[in-house]
Amino acid sequence: MIKILTPFEKISKTNKTLILLGWLILLIAIWFIGTSGTKHLFPSPSQVLTGFTDLYNEGLVVHILHSLQLCFLSIFLATIISLVFAYSWPIPLLKSISEFVTKFRFLPFTGLSFYITMVIHEARTMQVWILVIFLTTFLTTSLIAVIKDIPQEEFDHAKTLKCSRLEVLWQVIILGRLDYVIDVIRQNLAITWMMLVTVESIVVASGGLGFLIKNSDKFMNTGRIIALQIIILLIGLGLDAGINFLRKTIFRYSKI
Amino acid sequence: MKHEYKETLLYVENLSVAYDDTIIIKDINLTEKDVVREGVDCTGQVIAFVGRSGRGKSTFFKALTGLVACTNGKILIRDFENSEPNAAKLVKEGDIGFVDQKYTLFRHKTVHQALKFSLRKTALSNAEKESKIKEYVKLWGLENCIDKYPNELSGGQRQRTAIIEQLFSSDNFIVLDEPFSGLDVGNIQEVKKSFDLLCKSSEFNTIIFSTHDIELALEMAQTIYVVGYPTINGKQEKYGTIVAKYDLRDIGLAWTEFGEGHRKLYKEIVHQMMIS
Repeated sequence: MIKILTPFEKISKTNKTLILLGWLILLIAIWFIGTSGTKHLFPSPSQVLTGFTDLYNEGLVVHILHSLQLCFLSIFLATIISLVFAYSWPIPLLKSISEFVTKFRFLPFTGLSFYITMVIHEARTMQVWILVIFLTTFLTTSLIAVIKDIPQEEFDHAKTLKCSRLEVLWQVIILGRLDYVIDVIRQNLAITWMMLVTVESIVVASGGLGFLIKNSDKFMNTGRIIALQIIILLIGLGLDAGINFLRKTIFRYSKI
Repeated sequence: MKHEYKETLLYVENLSVAYDDTIIIKDINLTEKDVVREGVDCTGQVIAFVGRSGRGKSTFFKALTGLVACTNGKILIRDFENSEPNAAKLVKEGDIGFVDQKYTLFRHKTVHQALKFSLRKTALSNAEKESKIKEYVKLWGLENCIDKYPNELSGGQRQRTAIIEQLFSSDNFIVLDEPFSGLDVGNIQEVKKSFDLLCKSSEFNTIIFSTHDIELALEMAQTIYVVGYPTINGKQEKYGTIVAKYDLRDIGLAWTEFGEGHRKLYKEIVHQMMIS
């Protein structure tokens, strides 16, 4: 008993699972007890279950696919653009541009979306480009941080093997840190997923999880909102685990 | 054992390196020649650099391998592509192999891929490259890890791979920055074996290493340089230079078992280090 309360104490896997299960049961119990009265802020489990059923009947799967499609398309485009900025960072002439892009992450969301609205008129394309622009700033920042973390020894090693400067860039940064690109995407996935739902609810197109939240919000249907939050959380965690698995499978040498 | 000095392999003249206005090393001069021993087919050169921390050994090694530009002076090595006797060339990046303390390798290449990459600029055909890799991998005991990535190798395997890689790519010169630091007794024996293999594989192979273990330096090197702060006109300067050189071949201590002579020299080297 004292062991599980002692800081830095190592415990067995079984004990870890038991602790996790204990907390889960406690959380569910609080949820059930806390929402058993007539007045409650949080929806009861039965309300959330009804929310799930309603959402499913209204085509939840199609909406999820819609959001995932938007997520993958924007990540793909943002990654390509960010890689161009990050890989040109070691070039003195282009360094300032890459650094400048990273500063844009402090810009407010609404201000930029106003300008995008003036240029792009189709809602779906607008959603994609708002996400791409914002993601690019975050991904570029993370990718440049990865490059900055490469020890000088790795560059020196490539140079002693008669690598030209471009070969050093190719071997040490591009090929040598390919697994880190996947990890950067994974780390930024949470922000992508959060932004995506927000963008879908601000720029309303034909569907998506953000669109569903906006609709539920309008009618104060808290059961549906929590059901959607749970779905969004689970999909986010699934994507995170999937990408991590992909990185470990493709890159045997990757030990991040 | 009788030995004879042949052509110059390494020539350093008035070498200085400064970062901004801070002089790190200054006025380094040295000449290393090919040594031939009577009755021995192949004798590579093993040169050790000792000195207290922060005296510029690593900077000197970086300048020697072309990784850092010299502020003054020049470094010449034997040009093996030129058949004329004593033909020399100025050192540039990649001419002299460099193995750092961490035995850095490409993290995304297996041992085979790394060795193949280091041979990419040679005139060998693909079949010849494969055969050379096979030969070295067998000789250096790396057969079982040919398809392993650096993170799957032991410290000793990493170090051997790093040495072969540099040997394949450079021109018979290898610089090792503190190759014994942090190694256990078994790994030290492995590095020693690697040095032996290098010395036996080519007459011109020249190993330059730094160490804090003077006993090891005395045991393995034929020349020992002490790098430290020089005292000029009674005042100790704040830049590194060679303050003492000991040629173990000329004093009869090279290629022999560690004995009384080595112990005396040990004390002398320690003294030199302490006053510089």
